[in-house]
Amino acid sequence: MSKDKKKTSLRYRLIWPLRNEKWQPISIPVASILVSFIAAAIIILLLGKNPFQAFYNLFQGAGILPKPTYAGYKSMLTDFLQLLNAMTPMVFASLAVAVALRAGLFNIGVSGQMLASGFLATIIVGYSGLDAFIAKPLVLLVGMVAGGLMGGLVGWLKYKFNIHEVVTTIMLNYISQYVISFFIHMYYIDPISRQSKYITEAARLTLVNVEIANMKMNIPLGFILAIAIAVFIKFLMDKTVVGFEIKAVGSNRNAAKYTGIKVGSNTVLAMVISGGLAGLAGVTYYLGYFGSIQPKVLTNIGFDSIAVALLGNAHPVGIIFSSFLISIIDQGSTYMSSQAGIRQEIASVIIGLILLFSACSAYVKYKVSRLKDKEVDRKDSES
Amino acid sequence: MMSDYIVEMKHITKRFPGIVANDDVSIGIKKGEIFALLGENGAGKSTLMSILCGMYEPDEGEIYIRGEKVQISSPNHAANLNIGMVHQHFKLVEDYTITENIILGVEPISKFAGLFPYVGIRNANRKIEELSKNFGLEVDPTKRIADLTVSMQQRVEILKVLYREAEILIFDEPTAVLTPQEIDFLLGIIEGLRNSGKTIILITHKLEEIKKVADRCAVLNKGKLIDVLDVKTTSTNLMAQLMIGREVSFESEKAPAQFKEEVLKVEQLTVKNEDGFEVVKDVSFTIRSGEIFAIAGVADNGQVEIADAIAGLVKASGGNIFLNGQDITNDSIRNRTESGISYVPEDRQRFGLFLDFDVATNLASKQYYKEPFSNKGILNKQEFDQFGSQLIDKYDIRSGQGIKTQVRSMSGGNQQKAIIAREIELQSPLMIFVQPTRGVDIGAIENIHKMIIEQRDQGKAILLVSLELDEIMNVADTIGVIYNGQFQKIASSESLTTNEVGEYMMGAKHE
Repeated sequence: MSKDKKKTSLRYRLIWPLRNEKWQPISIPVASILVSFIAAAIIILLLGKNPFQAFYNLFQGAGILPKPTYAGYKSMLTDFLQLLNAMTPMVFASLAVAVALRAGLFNIGVSGQMLASGFLATIIVGYSGLDAFIAKPLVLLVGMVAGGLMGGLVGWLKYKFNIHEVVTTIMLNYISQYVISFFIHMYYIDPISRQSKYITEAARLTLVNVEIANMKMNIPLGFILAIAIAVFIKFLMDKTVVGFEIKAVGSNRNAAKYTGIKVGSNTVLAMVISGGLAGLAGVTYYLGYFGSIQPKVLTNIGFDSIAVALLGNAHPVGIIFSSFLISIIDQGSTYMSSQAGIRQEIASVIIGLILLFSACSAYVKYKVSRLKDKEVDRKDSES
Repeated sequence: MMSDYIVEMKHITKRFPGIVANDDVSIGIKKGEIFALLGENGAGKSTLMSILCGMYEPDEGEIYIRGEKVQISSPNHAANLNIGMVHQHFKLVEDYTITENIILGVEPISKFAGLFPYVGIRNANRKIEELSKNFGLEVDPTKRIADLTVSMQQRVEILKVLYREAEILIFDEPTAVLTPQEIDFLLGIIEGLRNSGKTIILITHKLEEIKKVADRCAVLNKGKLIDVLDVKTTSTNLMAQLMIGREVSFESEKAPAQFKEEVLKVEQLTVKNEDGFEVVKDVSFTIRSGEIFAIAGVADNGQVEIADAIAGLVKASGGNIFLNGQDITNDSIRNRTESGISYVPEDRQRFGLFLDFDVATNLASKQYYKEPFSNKGILNKQEFDQFGSQLIDKYDIRSGQGIKTQVRSMSGGNQQKAIIAREIELQSPLMIFVQPTRGVDIGAIENIHKMIIEQRDQGKAILLVSLELDEIMNVADTIGVIYNGQFQKIASSESLTTNEVGEYMMGAKHE
């Protein structure tokens, strides 16, 4: 009997953070991450490998934990900076999804917006030979404007002709993918790499192979901007009239119209902001993380970002953490596969599991509240 | 233990955060009677019945069905005990046919060639047709829900519980959405069901309905059971008194009107609906300061469109609207609010409120862009909260967690209070009320009428659109009777009798 009681109290303490509604925005994503790591561990066990070893390697590869040996000019810091480099476009892309979500819109076209803005920035600034001080801000500007215009077009089509944004964004994904690959093949192809020609160092948003203390590092300038923009978006959505109106439209279009909010222009505005953020993701990806564009390929970041935004509760600070985690798994996967002999795809499985479990958060919330009711009933019947 | 009750609920207590919805309530319902539950919004009627239907479990208390103690853990369990609920807000799939909706969840499975299972829709159709004929609820089972009128949809809801062989039927505010003729029909159906041996529980706050059909009636107030009455020997006045815990005056007291300058002038207003059909034709009228102008009429005769056109929610296709002498016909909604229009809309959940926002945000949702709520585009959340708590006190808006309560979790009456509070606080010279008391209980109705008259006495011009003739006769100074998008008659309320207004409403009498 007493053993039984102990068990319930332990269980109670374990799920307490899940029960408390105030903690749910944090506890549910954390729980889904834990559960997915456990699930991944089982898979790795079934493969006959040591899961702890694998996870350890994952963090080593991402530059969170030190590796036993490093190649010349490399250290843990090198790996960590590379992690931030990869994470930067993910943060922007997820913010783009989140802003649209708050306005009740589903921007599934982040990939296309990234590609279009990356391409335009590449041909306008990337090959121009401008000075770094002019080129880098100009790249950001071109990316933001191009993405914003493309997002704005989606919003305008929705407002003017009531075309659903999911349809337009998917179509624009295809259009940009093939039109841009045509232009790359025709004018900008590098015959050896079969990609677009590399952009100048001056235009690149990541400083490549910078020598500091006898180390060669890639310094992602965009990362600082990403954090700053995330904080700005939080401020914009929570503390300003603009954010209030966007959220109002997202919450109830009819009521928004009734209170005098211009539903149409707010729809367009939200898509412009979302597209502009996607544009920043595009330039930090194609002109930062990479230095060229692979034709006929849409990056996965645009789609992963939907799930990353959901994992972060569509909240800017949450998004920083969720992109950080997903990028760790992404970046660490190569090292894990070489060290533990586990195929790289297992990393994708882990990411997939995390996103799957986090997508279940609504169900978890519901289940928890049901359990709560039940427990109260049981207590009553006991007493 | 044997008893003559088919349903017994003993000492039921149910708490929600901040509110005791049911406080030690005990009722017994006899087989084959119509048992009414009377109470204001938020009195705990719906919670009590949700417990009986297995949607909530009580914190304390016991339930006996046919003398046996049960713990109803889910709606399915309730259905197994032959308990069915006809919900106020229909739970139907619009794109499915009547049959598909009814069998949803209990699909009859047939087997093709004795092997491959499929849904036996044809048998179900036949069974539902039979059922509907037996109870006088004729429907065509193959029709899609989206093509049905509201009252037909309600029939489907009733058939749904009958199909599940319910013996105990709970009707939750069944007449709230119906026209007077449909109400009479429905009450007939309910009596028919009782006569065929079913037990009926009727949740309502309309006294006439109870008087008309119910045998006994339990009165709830603030979660407590006040009394169980025999309907035949109790006056409606006493019931109303018990329900709100004090005496009610069905007639609002008001001082004689004092009209001053003209506030609203509508000239030859024409409004087209989405199909390009003229629903308001060439309508002209004026409202003066200190005047309550009521538009009387049967539903869907253009009265809501007039209100929407004045507030700017729909475009006028012809004519002009003047507010304090200014032409506002082509102004934006925001500009009209600024020049002095308050609007309590008909559909409070779709238009009036952001259900997922908290009370404070909703109360400030028409002023957030102005000082002191925001300054240079930056919101001042403290001001929101302060304004919110001030209004919650002033207008007695009941919410579980104060200003942070999600509006969705509040009762309908309190949602309406929040809207009215917000609109009055705008201090607009013109106030539009469309169906301000729809789905609101008697106590609150009295309160809302008082507030409207108070606003009039402060010199506001008031446009009241209502389908309740009593309300109009009671409150209005001037009555415009609309029929088919045109005013049949505009006259002072003293010069018209209820019967006359009724005749104009039906288009039977012309000027």
